Amino acid sequence: MTDGGQTSAGGSGFHFRIRAPREFWGGIVLVAIALIALYASRDLAGMDGFQFGPGTAPRIAAGLLGLAGVVVAITGVFTDGPKIDSYALRGPALVFIAILGFAVMVRPLGLIITTYLTFMISIFGSREMRLVESLIAAAAMTLFCIVLFFVLLELPFELWPSIRI
Amino acid sequence: MHDLFANLGLGMHVVFQLVDWKVNFFGTQYVVPNVPLNLAFCLIGALVGTLIGVLPGIGTVATVAMLLPITFGLPPVGALIMLAGIYYGAQYGGSTTSILVNIPGEATSVVTCLDGHEMAKQGRAGAALSIAAIGSFAAGCVATVLVAALGAPLTRLALLFGPAEYFALMALGLIFAVVLARGSVLKAVAMIMLGLLLAMIGTDIETGVDRMTFGFIELSDGVGFTNVAMGVFGFAEIIRNLELSAESRDIVKAKITGLMPTRQDLIDSSGAIARGTVIGSLLGILPGGGAVVSSFAAYTFEKRISKTPERFGHGIIQGVAAPESANNAASQTSFIPLLTLGIPPNAVMALMVGAMTIQGIIPGPQVMVKQPDLFWGMIASMWVGNLMLIVINLPLVGVWVSLLRVPYRLLFPSIIVFCCIGIFSINNSPSDVIIAGVFGLFGYWLAKHEFEPAPLVLAFVLGPLIEENLRRAMLLARGDATVFVTRPISAVLLAIALGLLVLAVLPSIRKRREEVFVEE
Repeated sequence: MTDGGQTSAGGSGFHFRIRAPREFWGGIVLVAIALIALYASRDLAGMDGFQFGPGTAPRIAAGLLGLAGVVVAITGVFTDGPKIDSYALRGPALVFIAILGFAVMVRPLGLIITTYLTFMISIFGSREMRLVESLIAAAAMTLFCIVLFFVLLELPFELWPSIRI
Repeated sequence: MHDLFANLGLGMHVVFQLVDWKVNFFGTQYVVPNVPLNLAFCLIGALVGTLIGVLPGIGTVATVAMLLPITFGLPPVGALIMLAGIYYGAQYGGSTTSILVNIPGEATSVVTCLDGHEMAKQGRAGAALSIAAIGSFAAGCVATVLVAALGAPLTRLALLFGPAEYFALMALGLIFAVVLARGSVLKAVAMIMLGLLLAMIGTDIETGVDRMTFGFIELSDGVGFTNVAMGVFGFAEIIRNLELSAESRDIVKAKITGLMPTRQDLIDSSGAIARGTVIGSLLGILPGGGAVVSSFAAYTFEKRISKTPERFGHGIIQGVAAPESANNAASQTSFIPLLTLGIPPNAVMALMVGAMTIQGIIPGPQVMVKQPDLFWGMIASMWVGNLMLIVINLPLVGVWVSLLRVPYRLLFPSIIVFCCIGIFSINNSPSDVIIAGVFGLFGYWLAKHEFEPAPLVLAFVLGPLIEENLRRAMLLARGDATVFVTRPISAVLLAIALGLLVLAVLPSIRKRREEVFVEE
């Protein structure tokens, strides 16, 4: 599994292979995050005499993150390591859409409709979903959440769509 | 010694206190006299904690984060007692899952899975579950006394701490998190830096300037700890579990019989429980996520001193007893740095800080002095909570098993919905839910590249404290950075941190460290 980098050992120099893509790309992304952070904190004041400015600590942390990222990426080039696992698309996408949907719906539509719909969106994240069963389970879960959060815990939720003109 | 028992007595009094309970039921207020309300909170906490903790793929942190909102309306003492109950419940629930299904909720249960699930396959699930409970309880008893005994002296020590010492101590904690994390030291360092960086998003405390918010007003209060924790521990875990096929979740089908362990089981595991308790108690006090590593350490130690190491991994009872006692002891002693120094040593304790802040309590040495009933009540509730677990969980095993039989295709949407409502209810803010979702995807990416989320979350929690103390220390020393090495306590702490880091990268130690984590 960790093997496979031996072929280029004889050929020298010019084309190099990334021997541990998982490490390499992990490091690169960290470097990118560090650069974004440096960019985002570019306007913050730095050291003022011996006093830290608001930008000092972010720049230190971003610098060290970038450094660590570079080293991780370099190790990925020169040492053998595993490939990147394949990413699933369906699960992450639908879970995220469901969460996003909750955030968008909860204010205008109220808790009941939102809970039901969020449940129904997320069931598609699994390949094993069954529609009728899910419709019933969604209703049960909605009821459970309303009883728990609204009735028992008395948290201030809007249950139904609020119509504002 | 006398003080110790007087204080524990005060704690017990708080836990068993009878109060008049006022309930609002559809607008009318009823008063029920003489209810042991705190005891009830402890019981409810342990129950719901187990209930959620049992769900596959939901670990302790996610459970506590999910259930945080349900304590908001309670009085401070009750809320914290309930949270402590939730914490132990969640941990016990996690072990139940790893014994019965081969999906450990999170790192702490991974080791229990090795022998616990093997035992379950051999039809000895009952014995494994009860030894886990008994071991946890025994460890809990010892740890409770330890917390009570160390509370007062450490609080006095904390009063000697200035900003430089606080900074040094937290730096040490982060180094511990690096050394104790699984996988590469370098990647753990990167996660620490990323966590610190994320913690700096939002308004700067001293100057009031927005930092790295990209113009989003929603970010000016920061990213929000619960959002990060729910994202990387809750949502990311769900996404990852969706990749597994139904077959890989192999739930023990056989009916669980013979809950009571045999006399031989008890004799076999007593030594392991004692050793696990010692290892767990010591590692738990260390800042930097002791609970996780303590179960690994206890398991490895047990295997090393065993006369029959080859039986580990094939359903030996010591393999369940040692890690379970260790992680329970550690989870309790990890309250020590929080309650005495105000420094959360791991992610769950960070959630505790959140809960305390919401209740208007600032964790630190002042709590013990100013609110002794809260401090000792919480400590006493740890012991009571552990007792509750053993009383309620063994008879309820059947309930947990039937919960585990609910297919994942229905469980995971329920968890998502529940998490969303929980996050939303904290600040009534939809953007928090989105932030948690984004961290869910990010957590999935981290897992794909084998970056550990635990150091990131710890650094995120300690970030503001570290920066504040660093800035204050530098200001007090008029910019003289040598202050950290000229003040004795700070110098010692930093020297230990440096020593640890050097040790961790030395090849021979590195090999041993890998051995501890790669148990198979």
